[in-house]
Formats: sequence, C-alpha cells, structure tokens
Amino acid sequence: MSCGALIHRDRISKSVVLLLALPALILPAAALGYILWQAAPVLNWHFIFSSEEGVGFGVTEGVFAQLIGSLLLALMACAIATPFAVASALYYRLFATTRQQQLLSAMFNMLQGIPPVVFGLCGLIVLVNLFEWGVSLASGALVMAVVVLPLLMLNTLAALERIPQEYTEAGMALGLASGAIIWRLWMPRSWVNVLTGLLLAMARALSETAPIMFTATVFSGVVWPDSIFSPVTTLQTHIFYLAQEANDPQVINIAWGSAAVLILLVAIFGLLARLLQKWGRH
Amino acid sequence: MTGGRKQAAYLTVPHQSIEAPVIVDEVSALNVNQLGLQIDDKMILQDVSFKLPTRGVTSVIGPSGAGKSSLLRCLNGLLTTWSGEIVVGECDVRRWRGGWDQLRRHIGLIAQKPAVFRTTIRGNVTFGIQGWRRRRRAGELVENSLRQAALWDEVKDRLDAPAATLSIGQQQRLCIARAVAIKPRILLLDEPTASLDPRSKQLIEQSMKNLAQETSLLCVTHDLEQAQRLEGHTIFMCDGRVIERGKSSQLFIDPQCIETREFLRWSVCDCD
Amino acid sequence: MILRWWLASSALLSSMTIVLVIGFLLHSSWPLLQQQGIAFIAETEWYPFEALYGMLPALLGTLWSVALALLIAIPCGVAAAILCAEILPPGLRGAVRFGMELMAGIPSVVYGLLGMWLLIPLLESQLDLLTGRTLLAAGLLLALMILPTIMVLSEDALRGVRRSQREAALSLGLGWDVSLWRVLLPQAWPGIRVAILLAMGRAMGETVAVMLVVGSIDRIPQPFYNLLQPAQTLTSRIGREMAEVSVGSLHWAALLFCGLMLAMVAISISLLAHRRVVTA
Repeated sequence: MSCGALIHRDRISKSVVLLLALPALILPAAALGYILWQAAPVLNWHFIFSSEEGVGFGVTEGVFAQLIGSLLLALMACAIATPFAVASALYYRLFATTRQQQLLSAMFNMLQGIPPVVFGLCGLIVLVNLFEWGVSLASGALVMAVVVLPLLMLNTLAALERIPQEYTEAGMALGLASGAIIWRLWMPRSWVNVLTGLLLAMARALSETAPIMFTATVFSGVVWPDSIFSPVTTLQTHIFYLAQEANDPQVINIAWGSAAVLILLVAIFGLLARLLQKWGRH
Repeated sequence: MTGGRKQAAYLTVPHQSIEAPVIVDEVSALNVNQLGLQIDDKMILQDVSFKLPTRGVTSVIGPSGAGKSSLLRCLNGLLTTWSGEIVVGECDVRRWRGGWDQLRRHIGLIAQKPAVFRTTIRGNVTFGIQGWRRRRRAGELVENSLRQAALWDEVKDRLDAPAATLSIGQQQRLCIARAVAIKPRILLLDEPTASLDPRSKQLIEQSMKNLAQETSLLCVTHDLEQAQRLEGHTIFMCDGRVIERGKSSQLFIDPQCIETREFLRWSVCDCD
Repeated sequence: MILRWWLASSALLSSMTIVLVIGFLLHSSWPLLQQQGIAFIAETEWYPFEALYGMLPALLGTLWSVALALLIAIPCGVAAAILCAEILPPGLRGAVRFGMELMAGIPSVVYGLLGMWLLIPLLESQLDLLTGRTLLAAGLLLALMILPTIMVLSEDALRGVRRSQREAALSLGLGWDVSLWRVLLPQAWPGIRVAILLAMGRAMGETVAVMLVVGSIDRIPQPFYNLLQPAQTLTSRIGREMAEVSVGSLHWAALLFCGLMLAMVAISISLLAHRRVVTA
C-alpha cells in the first residue's frame, strides 16, 4: 500500500472516530448549557439564600431551606460512614489475612453495586416503620451513609496502599506499635487522599435522590428540622416534586434554578477534591 | 598462615595486627537454634544455628538466594512463620512480654534501601523515641547518634531541613542514626552499602566499626572485601543453610568447607 | 489489643451490612414466593389490587432501557475516549477530560428534569407520538447519563497502555487504525470492560430519572420490541409504589422482591467487574 493511501485510510478512520465521539462530547455539554440558560433568569442571591413561601402548595420562592437540608443530610451521612470506612480500611491493611482481605474487598464491592433505591426501600421499612424513627433526618442520613460507605472505604484503602511497604517496615523495625504507625507514619502521608475521598463522597451524597425520597423528606412546605428525628426538605426532592408540576410557568423557572444550584453545589465539592489532590501532590 | 594454598587473585591478604586481648562475655547477645523457614513449599532456611557475641561485627556472606535477607527478617519479627528457637540475651523471643513491638526496640534493622520518614533530619533521628516530650529534649542524643553514624559533620547546621534533601548515602547513614538512637543491643544490617558510592561505603563501614564496640552487628553483605575489612566473625550461608562460620580472619584465608572454598574462589556456590 | 478489636469489629459490622440487606430482602419477599411460587416472574399482569404480581413487564422494561442505553453509549463513549487519548493535543485533552468529569457528577434528578421537560416534548413532536413517555426516552436519557462514566474510565484504560506498545505497532508499519484495532483496544479491553459493566450497573439501578420519563405503565410493549410505548422498569416501579404499600401485605413483598432482583443482578455485575480486574 502506498504512503498516500495509508494516510488516506488514517484520515478516514480518524474521522469516523470523531463522528462517533461528537455526540458524547456535545450532548452533555449542551444539556448543561441548556440548564444554565434556563436557570439564568432566576439565579440571584435572593433565590439561593432565602426561603419564602411561594405560589402553589409546597413551592418556595427561595431554596435556602432545601440547600441546608441537602447539606445536612450529606454531612450527617458522611459523618456516620467515615469512622466505619476508615476502620475497615485500617483493619484491611494492618491486621487482615489474605483471605480476610479478599472477603472484605468482595463485600464492599458488592455493596457498592447495589442500586441506592434498594437501600431506600429497606430504610423505609426498617428505620421509618420498624424502628419508628419516622420520616426523618436520622433515617435518611443512615440510609445515605450505607450508600457512601463503600466509596469511602475503597478510597481510603487506595490512599493507604500508596504508602510503600518499606516505609511501614522501617517504622515497625523501630519498634513502633500499630497505633503509632497509623498516627505518626500513615496519617501524615495519606490524610490528603482520605480527605479527597471524603469530598467525593459528599458530592455523591448530594446527588442521590432515591434513598432519601421517602425516608427523610416531605414535599410540602418549608421545613426546618427541629431535631434529627424530624423531616427535612432537600434540593433533590424539591426538583423532583417540581418536575411533576409543569403547568405553572413560575414553577418552571424555579425548577431550573434549583437544578442549577444543585449542580453548582455538587461541582464545588468535586472541584475542591481536585484542588486538594493537586495541592497534595506538590 | 596461607601455607601453599593458592588464593584467588581478588582476595587481599590481611596484614597482621597486634591486638590487645579482648574480654569476651559469656552470654551471647543472640542465640539462634535450628531456625527453619518455609514459604510456599520452598525451604528458605534450614537448620540455621549460630550465636552472636555481645560486641563486634558478624558478616553473613553467600550467593543470592541463600536466604540471608530472610534470616534478618525472621530475627526482626517481620517474618513470623519460622520454626526453631531464637533467644535474645537469655529470653526466648516467643515468650517475650510485650510482643514483637517491644522486642524490636532491642533489635534494630537497617534495610537495603534507605526509607527516611517525611520529616526533618532531627525528626527522623528521634522518631523511635517514645513520648513526644522526650523527643523534644533529645538534643544530645541526636548529636551522639549522628556522630556514631558518621553523619554529624555534614548535617550539624541543618538539622531541621527535610530529610529528603539528603543524598542516598547520607539517607542510609541517617537510617543508621535513627536505629541507633534507641540504643538497641543488636543491629541487623541488610546490605547497607549496596549501590552506594565508595565514600559513603567507607563512612558507613567506619561507623559500623564504631558501633561494634558497644553493640553486636549482624551484617549481610555481597562484598567479600567489605566482610574482611569489617573483621569480627563471618557466617557463610548457601541454599538456606549455614555452611561454615568462624572468625573472618580465619575463614577467608583458610576455609574449612569445600563450598566455602569454591565460593571464595569464584564467588559462586555449587552446594547441593 | 484494643485497637485491633475495635478495628476488627468496625470492619465486621460494615461488611455485614450487605448480608443484612440481602437477608432482609429475602426474608420479606418470602411470603410472596410461598404463596405464588416462582411462576409469577413470568406473569404479565401487575394488578396489586387483584393480587397479580407479574414481573415480566418491568423486567422487559429494564432490559430494553439498559440495552438501548448501552447500545448508544458504548460506541460514543469509547470513541470519545479514543479521541481524547489518541487524537487530541494535550491542552484540549485536559479540558475535555475535565468537562467529562464534571458531567459525571450531575445528579440524576436533574437528568430527570431534562428528560421530562426537554426530551419528552421533543420526542412527541419529532416522532409524532401520543405521549413521549416511552422506553425510548428512558434509554436515551440513561445513555446520556452513563456516557461520561464510560468515556472517563475507557480513557484511563487507554492511557494505561504503555507507550512502547504503540511505538512497536507503528514501527511495524501498521497504520493508525490497524494499531488501534489490533494493539491498543485489545490491551485496554480489560479496563473498558470494567467501565461497561459499571455503566450497566448504574443504568440498571437508576431510579428517579427513569421514573419520570418511562410512563410507569405495567404492560408489555406491543410488539415486544416497540420502544415507542410507555412501559415500566423495576426501579421505576419501586420508586412509584414505595410510598403506597402497607407493610406486611403481599404487595409489599412483591416490591421487595423487585428490590431483591435488582440487588442480585447488581451483585453479579459487580463481582464480574471486580474479579476481572483482579485477574487482568
């Protein structure tokens, strides 16, 4: 095959790839652009940080209450899940035999694959009804904690496994006990990565709707939780509810605005995670 | 002396020295009896027995794969599946109260690749000292340890610089200082000068000779000349067994076993 | 040692979660199995009021929507990954990659909103349908959702192929497309396979977005490959009827059985993906 024909063939195949790839590149960007464009008229300081009652049942003018609700749920979920995730990762690295490691790894990978809605269903029955916690912050946070637990654990484990074995052995050779090894050797080296994992878990907890739909949230009125056993209102369910009320033109804008705020919130945590990672690598 | 036996060209003839008589302690620092180690159907160590005196250097030589590094890791507790008996001082290690963590404060290990911690030079040296208050007040100890490791002159004015800024040879000496700071009775060294420049080698050998006056050193080395320079005793291992042991001055000149002779001549071992 | 016991018990409790969940699902759907045997899976009628719990419509719906999503997302996602890893210059590559990772983080409820207010009217007008709430809408939306995942993970897999491999192919005189097909893609295949499996898991488990656009009609499409009719998926069914069930009834057990099926398939997918990674 002559040189010219080879280049010609290269060009064709590259064009084919480009053609196939275009939808993948353009569509998500277009979707995001559309959302932001629709939300632009509504997004202002007042929208994000106030929470007045608006027109219609359950529709609020501002989304502050929902914002706080989402954040509270995500924070509580991560707070519950982190000790268990870190402890499991430490056990894996420090004391587990090979067999135990395989088992732990398999368990957490399986947990990670289960759709969050199944956890929501179980949480509804066990926590809300059986334990009689009711639809509450506590129920939702616990369900969400189970959703982010495998993510946190596998991330922490990856962070710990980046520490070379010789480093740890040098510490052991000095006679350091396990607690000292964790606290003086591992933590200073891996806290950045663990924190990054935590931020990513927060981002994930903020974007899940199914687990909290019937375990933590109500759809009517502005709700400021009095205690952890009272329900909250979140951005995710707010959007969900608004999506089914397309008749009111007012509602349309508010819905897009809420969507934009939610995307922004998730993106902030994602960006923070990235920045932290970059900073830690210096 | 040498008699009529031929010597391989690379072996240097040690010059005779008049030594003052040395008082040898009766109790040995380390007593190993029939140590065996099996990993995945392969016998890494078989029937290893030797004693370490309370002071002085003992070199371990032998071809690659002879189990020398594994031996050190058994003594240090990094490998725990060995059979046999290891006695430190007068106490069997299996009955040591406090477990291996406590025991390792008496048996230091210097690995082949220096693994400095991500802190300052001073921080590294004091790392093994228990209690952060004691670590802060350990100035003199830091100086002594660094002197013993032949590193003091080079770092005395930058003790608070990060340890990562040192060269590899300096890092290895830092590891020695770190291990020595907790005053172990026995110091294990796994090819400490492999892949270091000649000057670092010389400095480390110097520091080992210094340390040998108070501590018992067990040093695995591939460098036969180094083993000779370090004097003291030598153990020759091949295929997981101890073939011969004795004073370095005697072993290199007049080895008893044929495997030793073969090894010293060609630096290969044909043991079966 | 206290530390050891504390760590061990935490690890044990965490890993027991999955056992508890599966056990609970099994225990709760047992009454349904007891009463109706296993045959109801193939039944086509889902009328809780008449104690009919046919699973087939939902199963078919899930199958079709996931299949459609994968059909669209795999070629486009992998092509985008190839574009990013092989063709684009480094500056552009970083920007595209960053954009994709951003997309991957968009919450599913927002996709649901997009689906309801943008996609469905579009389908209704373009394809002249009575209602846009169809399996097609669900499949398209799911494709959009899993595209970033496939693209990002496939790009990682492609980047992981060593430089020496590419150079060896080129120095044999192979063209770019041949070296792609016969050297790069086979080498990156384990990673791409994991990406696909993960995306499949995500698509199958997606609830809110699908709930809003699929129509939630428990009926087998006529004919069975007709994607332009409203249908039902397992997740959509759970989402819609979750709040309405009374605890302890057969309806409740049926919903939990849906959850059990989802969990089982998800576990198999995840074990498959995980094991392949270990052996690759």
